[in-house]
Amino acid sequence: MAYLLILPAMLIFLVFTIGPTIFTFVVSTFKWNWLNPDQNKFVGLANYQMLVDGSQDPPFAATLLTSGYFVGAMVVGGTAISLGLAMLLRQARRINVAARTAVFLAHVTPLVATSIVWVWIFNPRFGLANLVMSWVGIPNIDWLGNSRFAMPAVIIYSLWHEIGFTTVIFLGGLTTISTELSEAARLDGCNAWQEFWNVTFPQLRPVAIFVIVVSSVASLQAFTQFFMMTGGGPGFDTATLGFQLYQQAFVFRKTGYAAALAVILFSITVALSILQLRTTRSLGRTV
Amino acid sequence: MGRLLQPGAAIAVGLIFLVPILWMLITSVASDADVFTFPPRLWPAWDFSNYAKAWGKSPWLTYFGNTVLIAGSVVLLVLITSLLAGFAFALMRFRGKGVLFLLVMSAMMVPQTVLLIPNFIMAQKLGWYDTYLIQIVPWGASVFGIFLLRQFFLTLPKELFEAAEMDGAGPLRMLFSVAAPLAAPSLVLVALNSFMGSWNAFVWPYIMTKSDAVRPIEVGLQAFYGTEGTDWTGLCAAVSFTTLPIIVLFLFLQKYFVTGVYGTQGSVRG
Repeated sequence: MAYLLILPAMLIFLVFTIGPTIFTFVVSTFKWNWLNPDQNKFVGLANYQMLVDGSQDPPFAATLLTSGYFVGAMVVGGTAISLGLAMLLRQARRINVAARTAVFLAHVTPLVATSIVWVWIFNPRFGLANLVMSWVGIPNIDWLGNSRFAMPAVIIYSLWHEIGFTTVIFLGGLTTISTELSEAARLDGCNAWQEFWNVTFPQLRPVAIFVIVVSSVASLQAFTQFFMMTGGGPGFDTATLGFQLYQQAFVFRKTGYAAALAVILFSITVALSILQLRTTRSLGRTV
Repeated sequence: MGRLLQPGAAIAVGLIFLVPILWMLITSVASDADVFTFPPRLWPAWDFSNYAKAWGKSPWLTYFGNTVLIAGSVVLLVLITSLLAGFAFALMRFRGKGVLFLLVMSAMMVPQTVLLIPNFIMAQKLGWYDTYLIQIVPWGASVFGIFLLRQFFLTLPKELFEAAEMDGAGPLRMLFSVAAPLAAPSLVLVALNSFMGSWNAFVWPYIMTKSDAVRPIEVGLQAFYGTEGTDWTGLCAAVSFTTLPIIVLFLFLQKYFVTGVYGTQGSVRG
């Protein structure tokens, strides 16, 4: 009876998630023919060889570097800003609750829709971003078309979109920690900065680790904003791992090579998830 | 001074995050002449004809209908599969339960982008390419949903089910007449989570379909952007009328959205 109850869910996971994941490993050892599957050729580790020797355009190392840039900025920037916002909006006053709503609202908007709005904001000639720049005396920037500014522009949009989620997580973490310790520290003469780093932050560490892992996994897989805003360009300057996977498979039709990229992406994600489970478990034991 | 600083900063933060959405609305009612000036005109011209213009250029009703049909079906499937599996994993004994539950949880670790290639190949083999089915069935089970309902069912007192069992109720009767009604708040969370996932879905339907007849709203919006790339008033109008339903939904169900965030946290923590 129990097996019957779990059958529908298990069937869906097996057919559309677990099976395909294994199949990806298989595809990654083939030179896959897009049009005629009969001509698929087993090539062993040749696709992985192409990752290492950098013979593809863009070279895999460059893709990793681009991903590292994006993931690093999203994790460091996202964690720091959302922690700061959570501290700022900690008290449940009416103004703070309204501000939280505004911050979280950005997160629920569809990526396709608000990417378009931000392409307009970053418009090189008539955009709002350049208006802001002109206030501080900086001449017009071709945000999305310039290899120096394209990635920062996508990062700014992505931070705007993701920070609501992580801020809410930090706010939840803050409600579970004691204010008595903070008050005691204040009475003992700590200033706000010392109190935060020595009393509040240590209690928030598990939450911070969760936020760091979740945002690294999410930004590693990010696709839609790159597709909408830069198409991976200029050149391959914003072609991160998530975007390359799509581009190699569905634009350049190098399915086997793209599957090897997918295997890499999958492995990094699994490693991060296991790390996450380990840290929260060991923290759970000490608390 | 310090007293004014905090509320001032909170207002500033709120406004900064709202600016892109306000700018979208302002541009959507701007006149075409206003849009192509620098510095941009910040005050709206209240020219609502952009909406009619954008609405006439794409089969928006078809896109909306498809999204509602797909999201509705996904939600229904997810509710059923999560209730059944969550109940079994929480309250029934069977061999291999631990391993099977681990298998379910591990499905969450697989990134969607990784699944694109194999599922695309499979969809073509099955004849599911360019159909509603490929947009619905693969998302019909949710790790989040199973986890959340299992957690909820674990909190229910055993006596509840013992009483029902004495009355001769089988597991299915127990699930649907005793446990499911109590789980309503969790079910709302699960439904909302899947609904938002379906509404915002882009890369999956973009790859798995090609015709407007089955494509959902965000893919339609992307196509509109592809053809009307410089008509910023029309584009902002289209972005507005496709996004406002989500914004309204969020403002009404904000509490559930926020609780959902903590739900994901719980499910990831396993």
